[in-house]
Amino acid sequence: MDSVIEVRHLTKRYKDVLALDDVTFDIQRDAIYGFLGRNGAGKTTAMSILTAQNLPTSGQVRVFGEDPYENAVVLSRMCFVRESQKYPDDATPRHALASARLFFPRWDQDLADDLVEEFQLPLKRTIKKLSRGQLSAVGVIIGLASRAEITFFDEPYLGLDAVARQTFYDRLLTDYAEHPRTVLLSSHLIDEVANLIERVLVIDGGRIIMDESTEDARAQATNVVGDAATVETALRGREVIHRESLGRVSSVTFLGRLDDAERAAFAAVGLDLAPVSLQQLIVRLTQQRTPGRDTLAPASQEGTLR
Amino acid sequence: MTTLESGSIMRPAAARNRTRNVVRLQFVNTQTFLWVPALVLAGAWVLTILIYWMLEGAGVSGVKTGGGSQAPLWYFLVVGIQAMTLTFPFSQALSLTRREFYLGSLAAAAVSGLGMSLLFTFLGLIEQSTGGYGMNGYFAYLEWVWERGPLAAGLTYFVLTMLFFILGFWSATIYKRYGTAVLTIVLIGIGLALVGLVALVTWRQAWPEVGQWILETGSLGLTLWAILVSALLAIGSYLTLRRMPA
Amino acid sequence: MIEEGKPLFVQIAEQVEDSIVDGSLAEEAQAPSTNELAAFHRINPATAAKGVNMLVDKGVLYKRRGIGMFVAAGARDMLLTERRREFALRYVQPLLVEARRIGLGPDDVADLIRAGAEPATP
Repeated sequence: MDSVIEVRHLTKRYKDVLALDDVTFDIQRDAIYGFLGRNGAGKTTAMSILTAQNLPTSGQVRVFGEDPYENAVVLSRMCFVRESQKYPDDATPRHALASARLFFPRWDQDLADDLVEEFQLPLKRTIKKLSRGQLSAVGVIIGLASRAEITFFDEPYLGLDAVARQTFYDRLLTDYAEHPRTVLLSSHLIDEVANLIERVLVIDGGRIIMDESTEDARAQATNVVGDAATVETALRGREVIHRESLGRVSSVTFLGRLDDAERAAFAAVGLDLAPVSLQQLIVRLTQQRTPGRDTLAPASQEGTLR
Repeated sequence: MTTLESGSIMRPAAARNRTRNVVRLQFVNTQTFLWVPALVLAGAWVLTILIYWMLEGAGVSGVKTGGGSQAPLWYFLVVGIQAMTLTFPFSQALSLTRREFYLGSLAAAAVSGLGMSLLFTFLGLIEQSTGGYGMNGYFAYLEWVWERGPLAAGLTYFVLTMLFFILGFWSATIYKRYGTAVLTIVLIGIGLALVGLVALVTWRQAWPEVGQWILETGSLGLTLWAILVSALLAIGSYLTLRRMPA
Repeated sequence: MIEEGKPLFVQIAEQVEDSIVDGSLAEEAQAPSTNELAAFHRINPATAAKGVNMLVDKGVLYKRRGIGMFVAAGARDMLLTERRREFALRYVQPLLVEARRIGLGPDDVADLIRAGAEPATP
């Protein structure tokens, strides 16, 4: 496995908050990652530490095999697009892009010009006066045109409408296809990005709770609908992560894969199987965990309706 | 694309360019680094000259000096604060190290400060040769500062701008890293230390010696001392910035 | 266009197969590239590549070095055979499950199918 980032036992503690709790993971070269989790789960903290904008309390971070802290060679190969990026007071988008061009060695001006046009970004207005969406567009353009070997997008779409977001996704995909690189995309709009990402990294309560290929993640859970008693019998021994009922019918989401014979058995007793979208799965998994607990709740015994 | 191929491995020259490019980055704020200081200087100069002119009209013919020329120097405190608060977060988005950002910012301040001190020296030379615009009024030419010639005077102005810049930069760093309370405590602490020093000198009845020392050291000597103080402050400022989260 | 439940790369492969089966993608014609598939379906290129590789492994597509992917000779027949073999499992079984649920026997279903096919082949 060819990792560009290695994180070992990373912990970050703010005064009374444990933002990252002994986190260990690798990021593989030239893949698009979905870095997913609820607000405050620790995504931004993790990305800040990876780009040396913040410092760990303990643990180790290696980017391209080196400590990124005050490391110009490593840092110049990365680009971190923050949701709430601050710009100099009287800077315009033109200034911001010209500055980015100075510091990112693989900067592509043609791509930047193209994107400016597509996002209809007013180059000469001061950034203070831009709309929220235009502000996001500045970050998105810097992130794409920098072509950094590792690019972090932290909720880059705030204020962007559906059309502009689609533009971002399309441009990301086509540019990535031509110039493969590592991308970490943090997003709440999981359904929107589910097909773009090759791997999912889910963080919850400062811990990594999922780190696998999107393909495997999608196949992880199944939803079954049918007569409540029949469902209960059929699911005996399986790990249930969500349960809803309407009269005698219940709809239950459970973990684990089914082979063809098992599917047939479910169908034979009149149970309907339905796939679980990545968004549903992650919502279910992160709902389960109550704040302050760091293990999965024993959902299979108690259900999750509490 | 060729730019893509050359990008992966960074040569040392490129690393030096990054620090140099921070100067260009800071000058994106042309308002902060260029126009406002120029405006402050011009404004202070115009006001001072007007006042001298009125005094002259009122028949005051003695040597006239004023504190107006301090204004642009004080403004460098603001430049220091803005270089930190406005540009540091953006520098992080551009994947700069703190060291590159700091050295580049100092260089940017030096460029601006150099311009300012050249203007001052130039004004001083004019005042020297025209006898204070023909009305014995001096804005930049202060005899005590100029006693070792225009070069020394220019150096004094330059060192002062840098001193103010670093002070502003450091206080902004402390503020951003530790918050208002700590900054206030630090400022009060410095105030107390100065008062303590004054008390000590008074108690030891050493004012004549202190006055003597200042006179003997002269403006150039004091400037050299100011360089030492600035250097110490600059190091302290860097140490504060070095481990600051963005 | 993209449905949940089946791995994405399988869906991509099946859509390419559909084009081969219905003749819109002829044998020995150039197949869409990984990047074209990715851009068209708005999916990760790695996923598209996985679908394409699956077709290569199966012998449906083959690679011409430096040019791209092409549909193999005999691919259409192979796919037809495979789909006919799977027809019962993919379509008849679910049909019978639903039929049983609503109280229809296999003969009723067969009648319905004949009736449904009637207008198409008079």
